[in-house]
Amino acid sequence: MSDTLSFDSNNSGKNGKHGSKYQNAEPDDKNKNWLEGIFRKYYFYHYSQLELGELINEHEFGFRLFDGKIRRHLAFNDKKELYAYIIKFSPSDIFYSSSRYQSPTAEIDQKGWIGSDLIFDIDGKDLHLECAQSHNLVLCKDCSFISKGIISKCVGCNSTRLQIIDIPCARCIKSLNVEVKKLVEILDDDFGIDSECIFVYFSGNNGYHVHVVDKNFYNASAKKRNAFAQYLMGKGYLIESLGIRRNNEGVLIPMSNKILYNQGWRRRIFDSIHLPIQNHKIDDKFVKKYNRMQDANNNNIQDIINTHILDLSAKIDPNVTMDIHRIFRLSGSINSKSGLIKAFCKDLDSFNPFVDACFIGDSNVEIESKLNIKISLKGKQFSIKPGKNTLPEYVAAYMICKGIGDIQNQT
Amino acid sequence: MVRFGNKDLAKYPFLKEAFSYITKYDFKLEDLDSKDYLHLIDKAAEKIENYLFFGRFEYQINYSKTHETIVQEEVIIFLISLLLIKSISIDVVTKKFALMESMRFEKYLISDLNTADRDDKTIKLILYKIFEDLFSTKILLEVDVYNFYKIRINDYLDHPIAFQEKEWNLINRTLHNGFVYLDGSEIVRLFRNELYLLIIDRIKKMSITRIPDTIMAISKSIKSRWEQIHHSINAPVSNAVTPPCIQHIYDQISKGENLPHPARLLLGTFLIYSNKTLEEMLELFKRLPDFDEKITRYQLEHLAGKRGNSKRYFVPSCEKIKLENLCYETRICQGISNPTQLIRKKSGI
Ligand SMILES: [Zn+2]
Ligand SMILES: [Zn+2]
Repeated sequence: MSDTLSFDSNNSGKNGKHGSKYQNAEPDDKNKNWLEGIFRKYYFYHYSQLELGELINEHEFGFRLFDGKIRRHLAFNDKKELYAYIIKFSPSDIFYSSSRYQSPTAEIDQKGWIGSDLIFDIDGKDLHLECAQSHNLVLCKDCSFISKGIISKCVGCNSTRLQIIDIPCARCIKSLNVEVKKLVEILDDDFGIDSECIFVYFSGNNGYHVHVVDKNFYNASAKKRNAFAQYLMGKGYLIESLGIRRNNEGVLIPMSNKILYNQGWRRRIFDSIHLPIQNHKIDDKFVKKYNRMQDANNNNIQDIINTHILDLSAKIDPNVTMDIHRIFRLSGSINSKSGLIKAFCKDLDSFNPFVDACFIGDSNVEIESKLNIKISLKGKQFSIKPGKNTLPEYVAAYMICKGIGDIQNQT
Repeated sequence: MVRFGNKDLAKYPFLKEAFSYITKYDFKLEDLDSKDYLHLIDKAAEKIENYLFFGRFEYQINYSKTHETIVQEEVIIFLISLLLIKSISIDVVTKKFALMESMRFEKYLISDLNTADRDDKTIKLILYKIFEDLFSTKILLEVDVYNFYKIRINDYLDHPIAFQEKEWNLINRTLHNGFVYLDGSEIVRLFRNELYLLIIDRIKKMSITRIPDTIMAISKSIKSRWEQIHHSINAPVSNAVTPPCIQHIYDQISKGENLPHPARLLLGTFLIYSNKTLEEMLELFKRLPDFDEKITRYQLEHLAGKRGNSKRYFVPSCEKIKLENLCYETRICQGISNPTQLIRKKSGI
């Protein structure tokens, strides 16, 4: 998970996996220096994009700098102080705690937790989309060769130390939207959370963060948050909850005398498998249809139900939801994995991250591409050839962030 | 303040309202020395003996009196019971008593909830009173939907059972609009643990300068009878390596704690694997506060595959044990995937 930082991501040990690719860079690394300048320029002109609440001094801040170092447990009295810090250090990534603390700069167990919004993270990587296989790239960590598609060994040197570079497409975003909608629907129907309290953000790369601002859940412990996550993922659902039990011979029997209030997961599953339940009770019609279904599926109703649950559940990362001390990418800040910003989606259907989250300037620069690739940003298509290309800054920034291009000497 | 005008209060002697029935007559503990109370002391003693030595709660409230007297007597019997348990002062006994007593109250609640006319305001008042005052949880009645009760999701998760038993996990509950929906028996079951803790708490907080002689004599006799039956506990696995998860269960039993269902399953299958006889296993399960010999015997035989055409159950894997929150992994567990491997490991098989 790299759009957030968990408590133990303080050390550099994890950086090999998630960290900045500039951590081993020479101080005069051209890409690093250029990008640092571009980011600084963005923060200088678009500072108002940063979404900061009223009680900024009660939140913990964290930064990843272009040299790969992580600074955590920082706090600022006001927006001016934060602004000065950002302009001075031009961080590659800015993180902010969803939790409020009495002393945000203290060690984790000394911070004095006040409460936190509920946060859900949906990551494109976890959806295992088919299209991703065709457009994602793989970088060899040993010889730096970049291949297309999914491979298990480097074509150049046979190394297995590979890193996926995700280049999400419009279809990826559509699939993510579907997941967000499922999540929002369960939150609304089952948890009674008003849609006005649900805020959806594009993570800046290949995912969404959903923030729930609701005082009913603000003080919920990590344990409770984990129960929420398990619920949303449909984990551990028992078929008995559908009013069906297994007898000694393993035959499934509907419990016809129990009143089953047809809401929550029960309603969702019954709707999805088209089993009618009238007046919250299992009647003869239900049993008939149920038996037919059971016969047709070799008694494997449990498998069927599991498939439906998988389809209906929200693909969230439970660790993010339950970790109350995690810091999240600040809305309005640039994601160094793409050069796009984490952006609030007022209307998910009309939101286009490749347009609405792209804020880098458009003066032309020279960039050396490592491969042949099509990129669509700010509503324009760019067909990039290996070697030298003249492209707008926002395309160049995207390529450098993805590690597929090198900036050329500026004149 | 809620006014209960009828005998239903006799079933819930732990409520403040019930207690007021005796305080208004200026009842004092010293009064228990008087012969007038002997029949109530006997009734309390009999109840406790049934709980402790037979695992039964065959208790009858005597309804053949005026409403006022019925409530007074039940409150006094409840007080005497607490006094007896306090003076026996054995942790395991206190826990066993609290569990049995809470199960008795639970039974009343379930039957009140399921059989009472829903327009009966008194029953509803008692319920809301218990839930709000004693457990600070607000329950609401959803009249539009088959008289289901509902409780806020956040409040629901304050009850440990929501995490202990799969069926009670949030995922297996009916959620709608921010509430968890429960029927009468479910909502009462949810509070069993709290009721239990409340009784323990009442016993602990009792401060008494002098226990009446009649009560002292009975408590001494119950105590010595208990001690004769229960000598100190030894783990029945003779092998030097007891898997930490199993050891933890032994420790819980020693402390007189009740075991959640998955822990019983783990212990049962493990003992069967270790070739313990049914009698040896019963000896251990006997120490559980809610022990019922018939049921336990049946369950163990079922696990061993000796019942009907049931198949033998195997000791759950470490992974499963972890999921059930029963794993207490130590260094000796390295590289194993099932606790039984520890036994084989040490004995060199
Ligand atoms: Zn290679
Ligand atoms: Zn795609």
